[in-house]
Amino acid sequence: MEAFNNLMYGFGIALEPINIAYVFAGVFAGTIIGMLPGLGPISALALMIPITFSMEPSSGLILMAGVYYGAIFGGSTSSILLNAPGVAGTVATSFDGYPMAKKGLAGKALAIAAYSSFVGGTVSVIFLMLVAPLLSKVAVSFGPPEYFALMVLGLTAVVSLSDKSLVKGLIAAVIGVMISIVGIDLQTGTERFTFGSAHLLDGIDFLVVALGIFALAEVFYMLLRGGGGKEAPRNAIGSLKLSRPEMREIAGPVGRSSVLGFFTGVLPGAGATIGSFLGYSMEKRIAKDGDTFGQGNIKGVAAPEAANNAACTGSFVPLLTLGVPGSGTTAVLLGALLVMGINPGPMMIEQRPDVFWGVVASMYIGNIFLLVLNLPLIPLIAKILDLPRPLLLSMILIFCMIGVYGLSFSVFDLLLLLGFGLIGLGMRLFGFPAAPLILALILGDLMEESMRRALQISGGDWGIFLEKPISLALLAVALFSLSAPVIKKRLKREVIDT
Amino acid sequence: MTRLNTNQWLAVVLLAFSVLYLGFAWQVPAFPLPRPVDSDLFPKVLGFILAFLSVLLFFEKPAIQEASDEPEDATQQGPFWLSPWGRVVITSLAIAAYALLLVPLGFVLASTLLSVGLTLYYGYRRHSINLAASLSVVLGLYLLMTKVMDVYLPTGVLPF
Repeated sequence: MEAFNNLMYGFGIALEPINIAYVFAGVFAGTIIGMLPGLGPISALALMIPITFSMEPSSGLILMAGVYYGAIFGGSTSSILLNAPGVAGTVATSFDGYPMAKKGLAGKALAIAAYSSFVGGTVSVIFLMLVAPLLSKVAVSFGPPEYFALMVLGLTAVVSLSDKSLVKGLIAAVIGVMISIVGIDLQTGTERFTFGSAHLLDGIDFLVVALGIFALAEVFYMLLRGGGGKEAPRNAIGSLKLSRPEMREIAGPVGRSSVLGFFTGVLPGAGATIGSFLGYSMEKRIAKDGDTFGQGNIKGVAAPEAANNAACTGSFVPLLTLGVPGSGTTAVLLGALLVMGINPGPMMIEQRPDVFWGVVASMYIGNIFLLVLNLPLIPLIAKILDLPRPLLLSMILIFCMIGVYGLSFSVFDLLLLLGFGLIGLGMRLFGFPAAPLILALILGDLMEESMRRALQISGGDWGIFLEKPISLALLAVALFSLSAPVIKKRLKREVIDT
Repeated sequence: MTRLNTNQWLAVVLLAFSVLYLGFAWQVPAFPLPRPVDSDLFPKVLGFILAFLSVLLFFEKPAIQEASDEPEDATQQGPFWLSPWGRVVITSLAIAAYALLLVPLGFVLASTLLSVGLTLYYGYRRHSINLAASLSVVLGLYLLMTKVMDVYLPTGVLPF
């Protein structure tokens, strides 16, 4: 009953006309950005931060949540229409979505994606509403050693579940932490790695790094590929209607994958990509017509779509209750929250119920908007894919520049943005994953602070991290998570083989 | 002598960077009062971890690069400034120039010049659409930032 009352309170905030406008704007903008191959939710969220800067925190986060949802749905659209997933979480959607589009059933595939995303998102919001307050009550008892261990786990999980080399992922994470400690050490007032530059005293803003490593690096990469790569032939969309038997057919996969997706999303590092692969692989095993997966089976679109949207919502659980993001995308969200002056963590539900419950309620509304407004608009929105690539690249550059300058008013930061863009390009070309770097950058400060506080409590004894049972367990899981690449490879092979 | 592979080159560069980083970490001044952990500890730990990971990377076999990751027309013939890498270099220079000219020229003029110029350079030849699209996006952003969000953007030589 308490959860219901809180939800009603949240709806009171989310249903304010201005917040409804933000949800719609977020979902719409997210769909457009997510649809563009290469620009996923991280870029979409990073590009939105300057816009949310001066907003009420609840409104800002409502807009961001809409962008996140929209970007995932937009990624499905390009997966289905072009076989070019804009987001890693929608790769599995393309396995059956694109074959459907080739058969002239793109509209149907898009409708299945929208309905499944809606159910996945809605089911998982209910779980979020129930699980998050419980978890935050547990997390209140966490001290510095537990937080340090939790952050180590968050980092190792993201590193181990990225598609690239484990060593390169760890290197990216270490460099992220190195960037985070540039500036004045707040505990001692000591300057570190500023090289005498006043511009670096406050450290390097995460938005500069996020926009550089993701959005600007993507522009450079597209330029290297000849101005954005070859234009893929786009399939006609066709009818968006689904028959009743088709609805019945996808009901089971959508329900199962929604639950599976949510719990996958809660796990640090797992997120939408793993969730969608697990959902797809589970349905392929269960289905009587499993052998037609990969040839345009509607269940092959429904399952990963429900799972990836549910996982997106699931990933909000560690972010909002522990203040520790479990993925690159939620790391950017955390950065945005910090910019708005909100410190997510176990006390947030108590101290800022407007933000927490406003966001939960806006997720319901965002899901409805995705279905009711975005779906009919898809034929129109898909025209963005026809935008001349040179014009698009220039626009992304302008967005990056205004994003950085509008926040810091610093020409130096614009030059730093360029530097990080080139570093991001290098990382992409040499196979270094970018998500661990951004996550480590966000967590670096908190991690060091927790470590130092823990060591101050113990008088410098490192054993404190192993004496506390929760901290020990989290560190053991972190160590174990480094073996995840082997499991993930096996899972992928099974999806392809079966 | 066998040639170093990509990972080995990267490992050498990263190892050199970690040594340099450690050098700077040792120069972080100590806090006057004794503390269990000072400001230099964390950077030192990071430097050593990076050095260790560089050694691991040296012995890691490079992954076979996927076809889609290969720049498509990297071998294209023609002047450097029209080659893929030329485009990256020219775009970087344009961004640097933009950063330096933003305040003197103003946001609207500098951004429009950057957008129109780069779109033209990337090969888009419908000039009127280029100008109209660039100008409307830049003006739209300018109005959003300055009038709605109260964010100051430099006006430069233009009166707004």
